Amino acid sequence: MIFERNKKEKPHKGDVFLAKGIYLKEPRINNGHVLANCFLRSLIVFMLVLGSVGGFLSAFDISYNYVLVIVSYLVLSAYFSFLYATSKMIYRDLGYILFFGVFVTAIYIFRIYANSGFYVIVNRVLQYAQSFFNLSGVREYEVQINNPYFTVAIVSVFLGMAEIIILNIWIYSTMSLGWTLLFTFPLLFIPIYMKQMPDMFYIILLCAGYMAVVIFKANGHYLSFAWDASFRVRGLKKDQISYTQDSAIFKQILSKTLLLSFCMVIVAGTVFSNRSFEGMFHDDKLRERTSEVIGNFILLGVGGLYNRYSSTGGMSGGKLGGVSNVRPDYQPDLLVSFTPYGNSAIYLKGYTGGIYGDNQWESIYEYGKDDVEVFEEESLYSEASNLQRQMQNDSDYGAFGKMDIKNVGADPAYLYYPYYTLFDEYTIYKNHSLMPTAQGLKMEEETTYSYYPKIKWEDSWGNVYPSQIDTDKVDKVFLDVPEKNADVIREECERIGINENMTENEIAESIRTYFNDNIPYTLKPGATPESEDFINYFLTKNRKGYCAHFASAATLLFRQMGIPARYVEGYAISMEAVLASELNEEKEYWDYYTGYSEIGQSAVVDVEVTDAMAHAWVEIYIEGFGWKVVEVTPGSNESTEEDDFWSAFANLFGGADYGAGGDNPIFGDIQLSKFSWLIYVVIGILLVLWMFRVCCLIYRKICRYRICHQKDMKEALIARYADVCDIIRMYESEYGLCRSHGEQLLFIKDRYCVDFDVKKICRWLECISFSRNIILQEEMKELQQLFIMFRKAIWKQTGIRQKIKWLKR
Amino acid sequence: MRRILNIFRYIIVITLNVFVMVTFQSYLNFLLLVGMLLFPVYSIYGVWKVKQELRLEIFSPSEAMEKTEEFYLRFVVHNHTNYTLVNGTAAVNVSNRFYGDRGKHYLNIPIRARKNAEVVYPIVMDYCGLFQVNVEQIKLVDLLGIYETAIALDVQRECLVLPGGEMRSQEAGAAYVRGVSEAMESKEKGYDFSEVSGIREYIPGDKLQNIHWKLSVKKDELMVKERVSVSAMQLNVLLDLLNDEEMRLESVLELADSVTKSLVAQNLPFTVYYYSTNLGKLSEQYIGSEIERKQWMEQLLYNHADSVEGRAEDLYKKQFPFGGTYLYIGFMDENQTEDCILGNQQTAAVLRR
Repeated sequence: MIFERNKKEKPHKGDVFLAKGIYLKEPRINNGHVLANCFLRSLIVFMLVLGSVGGFLSAFDISYNYVLVIVSYLVLSAYFSFLYATSKMIYRDLGYILFFGVFVTAIYIFRIYANSGFYVIVNRVLQYAQSFFNLSGVREYEVQINNPYFTVAIVSVFLGMAEIIILNIWIYSTMSLGWTLLFTFPLLFIPIYMKQMPDMFYIILLCAGYMAVVIFKANGHYLSFAWDASFRVRGLKKDQISYTQDSAIFKQILSKTLLLSFCMVIVAGTVFSNRSFEGMFHDDKLRERTSEVIGNFILLGVGGLYNRYSSTGGMSGGKLGGVSNVRPDYQPDLLVSFTPYGNSAIYLKGYTGGIYGDNQWESIYEYGKDDVEVFEEESLYSEASNLQRQMQNDSDYGAFGKMDIKNVGADPAYLYYPYYTLFDEYTIYKNHSLMPTAQGLKMEEETTYSYYPKIKWEDSWGNVYPSQIDTDKVDKVFLDVPEKNADVIREECERIGINENMTENEIAESIRTYFNDNIPYTLKPGATPESEDFINYFLTKNRKGYCAHFASAATLLFRQMGIPARYVEGYAISMEAVLASELNEEKEYWDYYTGYSEIGQSAVVDVEVTDAMAHAWVEIYIEGFGWKVVEVTPGSNESTEEDDFWSAFANLFGGADYGAGGDNPIFGDIQLSKFSWLIYVVIGILLVLWMFRVCCLIYRKICRYRICHQKDMKEALIARYADVCDIIRMYESEYGLCRSHGEQLLFIKDRYCVDFDVKKICRWLECISFSRNIILQEEMKELQQLFIMFRKAIWKQTGIRQKIKWLKR
Repeated sequence: MRRILNIFRYIIVITLNVFVMVTFQSYLNFLLLVGMLLFPVYSIYGVWKVKQELRLEIFSPSEAMEKTEEFYLRFVVHNHTNYTLVNGTAAVNVSNRFYGDRGKHYLNIPIRARKNAEVVYPIVMDYCGLFQVNVEQIKLVDLLGIYETAIALDVQRECLVLPGGEMRSQEAGAAYVRGVSEAMESKEKGYDFSEVSGIREYIPGDKLQNIHWKLSVKKDELMVKERVSVSAMQLNVLLDLLNDEEMRLESVLELADSVTKSLVAQNLPFTVYYYSTNLGKLSEQYIGSEIERKQWMEQLLYNHADSVEGRAEDLYKKQFPFGGTYLYIGFMDENQTEDCILGNQQTAAVLRR
């Protein structure tokens, strides 16, 4: 209650009442200097942070400058612990501000070191991840300063600093094990998941730190302030005199937890080794279920978490729909040596999808059947043979080339060959990853293909109506439009304006133009919902996508028009890539190419085909020739900069592009467009904080309302009057000087011009406040009304700011 | 409740750890689990060991203190084991025996391994009396806060707290003179207050008038009547130790202290009477020096305050049926206005007959 009730100076103010006439003054114990206590307490934070960060690094065998890290952690832990011991809050705040200044300076000076150190750690983790998850094409980040021993220490200091600041608050305010675990253990989940063990030293530190937290949480006596007395009175009856903290206890507990942890960990580790432990588990369901997602995360960052299968570019084997975005790693998948012969892209065919269903293009191969013929058909044997014949007949536009392809990172389940390749032997290739005997291009295997490029197309080819195509020459599945897609495809055909009265070429051009004009290309179209069909969702709802979307949709559109079509995946080598590649001067042009070339005699080039060049396209059947590539995917306007999760995170430490003497402002190199996720996080946190504040406000108001409207009218009136007093005190500092109800009421009367009988109201107030007498019901009601009047009068005379203050109260 | 919370919390942590251990097949969590399972054993064993060895000592001032003067108790906990406990809680009873006021509180102290923990306890008493402190048990809690046990002890100390009366020499001297004069007047009128307190052998220098002639003849040696002489018993002081709710006895004791101190300072001997609850009768003590006065005061405070109104005066009158003037120190009559030394709270030293 806030009333000023008979304030008398107590003769034993601050003393503890023990019995009648017996008082205890301030008891004392030799509990050590407050600084010693702070330092000892800071060791808990030190052990936990070093255990966490050091444990993480040691699990991945990353060595660093131990002295620098340990000394820094010790100093930082002690500094923040001392801040909590300062006699005034203002000193603590100043301490934090001072630290922030030092932090900003340090991060500015060491940003390149921190950046490099961070990349060293990421590279090492990715290396482990690559072997653990069997990931192909994990990118290695470029490290600017090649001194990992120092740079890792710098980044560890920064990481540890963040942990120390946060942990310090929770350790000193609540000694919360939950928060301690939350801030120290998650980092270790990464090595734990990859079955990497931190060094015993760090496990001992962690174990000791956790034990110390548990002990002090269970027993108390961990708070140490400079203004603290040795003892504090506690308990509901104020009959417990507890010591606040004791450096000897801190010392003994810390040393004992360390010793115990050491003994337990060493003994347990010796008696029951890691191998014996792993032998207890027969299966690993967690990793079986999650390794794909985690692998995706490692490759793609957060976006990878909501991809249902990994896609960093490269082949997807006809699987569609589970990828929300494609983040190529730009690492070479294939090394290709050939002679360029035209301005068009060169397609390396990898996978052919014939049957569409369940958001997937399936091959027309079937188990148990002789698939040689199918492979011949798929690999365009007849077309290649015809072109070979043309070449042999000295056709003007005939050409023959050789292409060396080496698999350095591509999916080894597939062959990758240029268009119109003639294989020496067709029976050995069963080009489907699902086939048990599938034989693709193995990793590090190099094959030379002989191919007959089709550079010039006769005008007559493709200038036939679909009805004129002899569809008996192709498998019927290449004309099949699944029932669930039929309506959407029909509508889309109408929208595009294609019909069966158009020629093949006209239809292809219309589709290409329509897609180019109406449907944007993006590598981040978002995942197709599981309940939706990939092509229907793309054409009706999403209306954006990458090559797989366009190729899939176009395949069905062609089929709808009666043109046999199939979906193909592989790599497309653009002219730009060819121009950016290196010339191979050791190889002779004539050994690799003969015949017609659009660009004349060039040279043999070695092209690094990265996963970013992976592509999907359509093959349509051209009457009179056979299968031909149709490109329907529009060009991309998207930035292809490396903007993955790790880079964005690393940029927090300062741009790697700027030199130490660069004049860019701190964090000036952070491009917000790359940090949309971070902005969302910040906004989310702010929203949560705001919501929390609003909830607190509402809760306070509800509590106040309940008190002011409780059943006991007398208490309710007292509460209401106290509430009015609180409001006035907010605005009028003089009101605080009023020492009695009479003075307070007079003040209200004068200040807010409320007309009432001060003496009478004062008497009633005195009566309900300080005596057991109860005033009459009518009088109570009158008081109630009067208090409402008070509130109204105050509200009237307050400005907007004060009104807001009132509402926020 | 706190213990249950700690147990609950610990079980949750173990469960979480087991969950992570099994789910991730984490050897790190296995090691932590081993620690978590063995640690309670260590913790509880530590309490048990400490229970065997723990010793508590209390030190209090041997000299009597004055009321409102701060004095120190020292609680020293000796733990010779290697086990540390964060919480040891002693149940401490304190009392003022004279007034019968008691209180109980709990003193929480660290139990350091192989080290003493000494708590300095500054006490202030508003009332005089016999301060007593007693620790009946110490409750020990293990490091995890999940197990507690108590050691039964019976360590007791006491300290006398005397009233701090001021010197009131002039008033006391005047009262003494007045009282003695009235006694002398009575003697001249034929009353003889002198009494034979005992018989002893003659010591050279004894007055002839004190020789017990009849007995000397009988025993054939000189026997002397040991007489409380008129000059040594010129004033009797009757102290009424009746207490009331307003604690006026404090003022009575303070006044008694002032008056007696002043008399002794002026070399004016007197005999003091009060009702002793320990003896169950009127206690009488001749006071001729400050040492005697202090001894009397200390002895007095080993009694309890009287609860029966007028008992001391009744007994005094029974003992001295012929009356005589005495200095009564106690509650003041309502109509008493003069011829008295006023104390606080309507107490006074007044000559009565």
